[in-house]
Amino acid sequence: MQRLLVFLTAISLIPLLCNSFSPENPTDRRLLVLLDDFSLKSTHSIFFQSLKSRGFDLDFKLADDPKLSLQRYGQYLYDGLILFSPTTESFGGSLNLGAVLDFVDSGHDLILAADASPSDLIRNVATEFGVDFDEDSSAVVIDHTNYAVSETEGDHTLIASDNFIQSDVILGKTKIEAPVLFKGVAHSLNAANSLVLNVLSASPSAYSSNPIFKSSRPPSLTGSAISLVSVVQARNNARILISGSLDLFSNRLFSSVVQKAGSSHKYKKSGNKQYVTELSKWVFHERGHLKAVNIRHHKIGETDEPAVYRIKDDLDFSVEIYEWSGKSWEPYVANDIQVQFYMMSPYVLKTLITDQKGLYYTSFKVPDIYGVFQFKVEYQKLGYTTLSLSKQIPVRPFKHNEYERFITTAFPYYGASFTTMAGFFIFSFIFLYNKSQ
Amino acid sequence: MVGKPQPEPVNGSAKSGPSQSHLAPSSSTLKPDLLSNFSLKSLKLKTKQQELLIRIAILCLVYILAFITRLFSVLRYESMIHEFDPYFNYRTTLFLTQKGFYEFWNWFDSESWYPLGRIIGGTLYPGLMVTAALIYWSLRFLRFAVHIREVCVLTAPFFASNTTLVAYFFGKEIWDSGAGLVAAALIAICPGYISRSVAGSYDNEGVAIFALLLTFYLFVKAVNTGSLAWALASAFGYFYMVSAWGGYVFIINLIPLYVLVLLVTGRYSMRLYVAYNCMYVLGMLLAMQIRFVGFQHVQSGEHMAAMGVFFLIQVFYFLDWVKHLLSDAKLFQAFLRITVTSAIGVGGIALGLGMASGYISPWTGRFYSLLDPTYAKDHIPIIASVSEHQPTAWSSFMFDFHILLFLFPAGLYFCFKRLSDATIFIVMYGLTSMYFAGVMVRLILVATPAVCLISAIAVSATIKNLTQVVRSNNKVPQAGSSKGTGSSKGSSKVSIDQSQPFQRNGAIALLLGAFYLLSKYATHCTWVTSEAYSSPSIVLAARGAHGNRVIFDDYREAYFWLRQNTPPDAKVMSWWDYGYQITAMGNRTVIVDNNTWNNTHIATVGHAMSSYEDEAYDIMRSLDVDYVLVVFGGVTGYSSDDINKFLWMVRIGGGVFPVIKEPDYLVNGEYRVDKGAAPKMLNCLMYKLSYYRFGELTTEYGKPPGYDRARGVEIGNKDIKLEYLEEAFTTSNWIVRIYKVKPPKNRW
Amino acid sequence: MARSTGKDAQALFHSLRSAYAATPTNLKIIDLYVVFAVSTAFIQVAYMAFVGSFPFNSFLSGVLSCIGTAVLAVCLRIQVNKENKEFKLKLESIYRHKVLSGISADAERDLPAERAFADFVLCNLVLHLVIINFLG
Repeated sequence: MQRLLVFLTAISLIPLLCNSFSPENPTDRRLLVLLDDFSLKSTHSIFFQSLKSRGFDLDFKLADDPKLSLQRYGQYLYDGLILFSPTTESFGGSLNLGAVLDFVDSGHDLILAADASPSDLIRNVATEFGVDFDEDSSAVVIDHTNYAVSETEGDHTLIASDNFIQSDVILGKTKIEAPVLFKGVAHSLNAANSLVLNVLSASPSAYSSNPIFKSSRPPSLTGSAISLVSVVQARNNARILISGSLDLFSNRLFSSVVQKAGSSHKYKKSGNKQYVTELSKWVFHERGHLKAVNIRHHKIGETDEPAVYRIKDDLDFSVEIYEWSGKSWEPYVANDIQVQFYMMSPYVLKTLITDQKGLYYTSFKVPDIYGVFQFKVEYQKLGYTTLSLSKQIPVRPFKHNEYERFITTAFPYYGASFTTMAGFFIFSFIFLYNKSQ
Repeated sequence: MVGKPQPEPVNGSAKSGPSQSHLAPSSSTLKPDLLSNFSLKSLKLKTKQQELLIRIAILCLVYILAFITRLFSVLRYESMIHEFDPYFNYRTTLFLTQKGFYEFWNWFDSESWYPLGRIIGGTLYPGLMVTAALIYWSLRFLRFAVHIREVCVLTAPFFASNTTLVAYFFGKEIWDSGAGLVAAALIAICPGYISRSVAGSYDNEGVAIFALLLTFYLFVKAVNTGSLAWALASAFGYFYMVSAWGGYVFIINLIPLYVLVLLVTGRYSMRLYVAYNCMYVLGMLLAMQIRFVGFQHVQSGEHMAAMGVFFLIQVFYFLDWVKHLLSDAKLFQAFLRITVTSAIGVGGIALGLGMASGYISPWTGRFYSLLDPTYAKDHIPIIASVSEHQPTAWSSFMFDFHILLFLFPAGLYFCFKRLSDATIFIVMYGLTSMYFAGVMVRLILVATPAVCLISAIAVSATIKNLTQVVRSNNKVPQAGSSKGTGSSKGSSKVSIDQSQPFQRNGAIALLLGAFYLLSKYATHCTWVTSEAYSSPSIVLAARGAHGNRVIFDDYREAYFWLRQNTPPDAKVMSWWDYGYQITAMGNRTVIVDNNTWNNTHIATVGHAMSSYEDEAYDIMRSLDVDYVLVVFGGVTGYSSDDINKFLWMVRIGGGVFPVIKEPDYLVNGEYRVDKGAAPKMLNCLMYKLSYYRFGELTTEYGKPPGYDRARGVEIGNKDIKLEYLEEAFTTSNWIVRIYKVKPPKNRW
Repeated sequence: MARSTGKDAQALFHSLRSAYAATPTNLKIIDLYVVFAVSTAFIQVAYMAFVGSFPFNSFLSGVLSCIGTAVLAVCLRIQVNKENKEFKLKLESIYRHKVLSGISADAERDLPAERAFADFVLCNLVLHLVIINFLG
């Protein structure tokens, strides 16, 4: 019976493949949520409810469900994956580390939450994104100066942190007043990875260690090197959120009162709900998603795109950039988008002018060098999708008859040549008709 | 053909010309005779007509022979373009026929030397392409529906046949028509010329040798006749040569040298003045119309000899004129002193100023390495790396010239015996070209016409003397011999030789010996052509286990794979040898090609090939490379593969990027690829790309897997993993391997 | 020394002048033409030294047209000058053949004046065509 239900659900999802997750509508629709046990559905119900209210279809499954599959016949069944299964050793069904990575590499989003003693599988998934959880599996983040005052736990593992990343795109315009409560493992960002970002970091007094037993060695992760929540925006614009705490998303921490140690101010509600909601909006492409269309270039005065330019031509370049607002494409307005005319190094670098309706344009003169150039727009702004556009166009030198026709300094030479010719005519007449001898 | 000639008591093969040299009787007087004879049906032709008939017959046979001896590869394989450079010529000719001359003259190619591009219109010698295009258009006009490739393949043999005709006229001009015929026959099959003009070798030298010989012939004719018309013709010949090949520098230096020698030996004459002046001024003007040559005739050190001799000959003329005007010798001496000193002074100052200020550029490396053969190895590794630029071994001389090698000194002797303006020229041409042929293997080609001509003089003179000796005894009893008016020489010999029958027998023996040698020459030439110079080098052949012929068509397989399986704007990185073929057959953009005009770009590619995979990946990303092509001969035993060329990549790359050091890749100065090889060698990109998956392959019975048949060792690093590239295609015999460059990691 | 060279130069000059006056008129016309061409060339070189060689191809074509006409005129002069023992067109045997057949080698010129002038015109034609192409 259950199998039939699952089968029917899967079948019914297939028609939705057509109208969800296309480049026209980048917001994800269907999410697969993998849980260690179904009790998470109720302990994290507010979070899931907020997702559902924004229009997402959530599919809850146990992480070791033998019928798990992300794709069927080459088509992906879901647009996003939420891994709330920190202790699962291996996924069931056809899911494994490689399948998850392929899922992300094909442009889909991921939310990963670990908790105390995450399994090797979860650690490996995180390592692939440049996030390294603390190797000590029993270690959690402990902060003796920034902990949240709490009646029940006195071991300072519940941390109140407000070291947010400064980005309106990722965390929304509204400032998060209350600190965010965090209880879980620490991770560090791999320095070799240039795409991973820290969105919630620990204070300099935090460290990662076992709360119960004294450890003989000093903790390996300390201070601001500890990252509590990180995001990665991959080169294909898939977004990944990695959190060291599953409780970050729980109802309990959403609604609990926050009082930071050492301060008397009590916040009625923690900033968790707002924080997590805004983050999830960003991760699921409701904010900060750009698209660039209609890259056009032409000579000034013409409309068609030529196959080749000549040096010292004047040309126009234009591109349209839109931002997804969650429901529709709005014009993107910024004053820092630049275009390069590039051949192994940029010969021309110009900031594009916008008409506030999404059109960015500029015009410049082709440099005096011939070769194969590219129009390159490389736009990487924190939190926004990467725009990496390039269009190749050859630039040719002058043809032999495109130079100045008559050069004034050369008139004496022209004169001399024609004089010689005239002289030749006159001479031959005189020579031929010379009667003497 | 008019009819059978009357049987003649001519001994020996048709190669020996008639004993009397009645030069080109005007055909106008012959025609009525021929017609009347024909109507008489008696087929009795006069001596002159028989002679003409024989000559024309010989020339026709030689013409056809020159053409068909170059057709081996077309018969064995197919009608295709060989080697590397001809593919560029073919591509440009194709462009010319499709787009017309205006586009061709201004062609900017964005598909080679990415991303720098190449102005092809201004950096090639258009003579060959224009010639082939003209032949193609004229055949099309006559409604022959030929493909341009067929025209390209057969252009070189066609011009080789034309060269034999020019050799005939040249020989006639220098010596006599007998020597001309022998020269034509020798040059038709001489391997030195065949090597670069076989069918399919669509290269500049094919037409350039024709143009060279034509120019020289017309110039010698001009010097002999002193006519402006012949000098103008030689200027046009020179123009054709300049448009065809960079070796025109040889002409523009040899002719002034020749004029100088004539001036020095006291052979100054008005004819020389007319010939040289007209040819120099008009030739120089015409030559400057070629964009690639530009202003070199007035700015480059290599062309200054011609200008110097030009001024010198003006001085000579002026002095001659003044001497003619003045009757008093003493005054003239004074005048002479003043003029000569001032002329030399002015000339020396001008030259010195020019060279010191850098306005006159010194000899370029290409030509300087001919004067100083060790220059290229130290300073220009690209020139030194080409196998054709190595000094010539005696075996190459023997291979390419055979008996001509010892007929050459004999011919020189004959030339010195009868010195005239023309023989001085051919002696100088022979000696200078033989010197250069000794410096560089490739230049045997330039020496071939001279060697053939001089040898022809030797052969013709010897055989003529011998046949005269043989025939002298026949003359006296037979009054009715149609050989008629014997020269006074012959008659005098008759009186002497009658008493010495030994001489006659000796002469017959020597004649037979000469003919034997010539027939061995013909056999050798044909064998050489068939075995050594008829391989297309893009298609390889070998003998299978049962003696059957096995063809390796891997190159074309790879290029067509590229053409059909990669995006049209894909960029391919390979060593510069294969650039022309990739653009012509694969139709894809390449990073470097055989033109080798930008050493830094080539060094960048060399740097990428000799670095570890991650550094190479950065270089390839900066050049937008999508595919990498390597040639690997380990499975077939093909020895011209990239691993054997690798040290040149290192040297050229190291010349610009000092981080690449050649000793890093060698072990005790030895170049190895087996276990004992240097670690940098075992992990560089070229090694990995060549031997990827090769460790699992068994190539020869009884040898372990991973046995490299070209180097004869088992490779050192068998377990190769590629991180930034993936294998896209390997041809059926593993000769060409293509790899795709992966895009940057998604999450990292 | 200077005095003797001075006297020599004067004597030289005088004898040259007198000898030159004896040349036929048509040769003098050619000489005038040559002088005209060479002087034009000098003017152009002076101009180039003054202004710089920017359109070098125009400069070269101008100068070479003058030099070319001068040279070709001198060639014509050589061929038309009756005093030049004419060039040997063929090998010795033909020459001897003509002598044996009683034809005086001097009376009959191997190169008639018309042929010389025709060659001259042809060469000049080619010269001027190339100059026009090269002029830019």
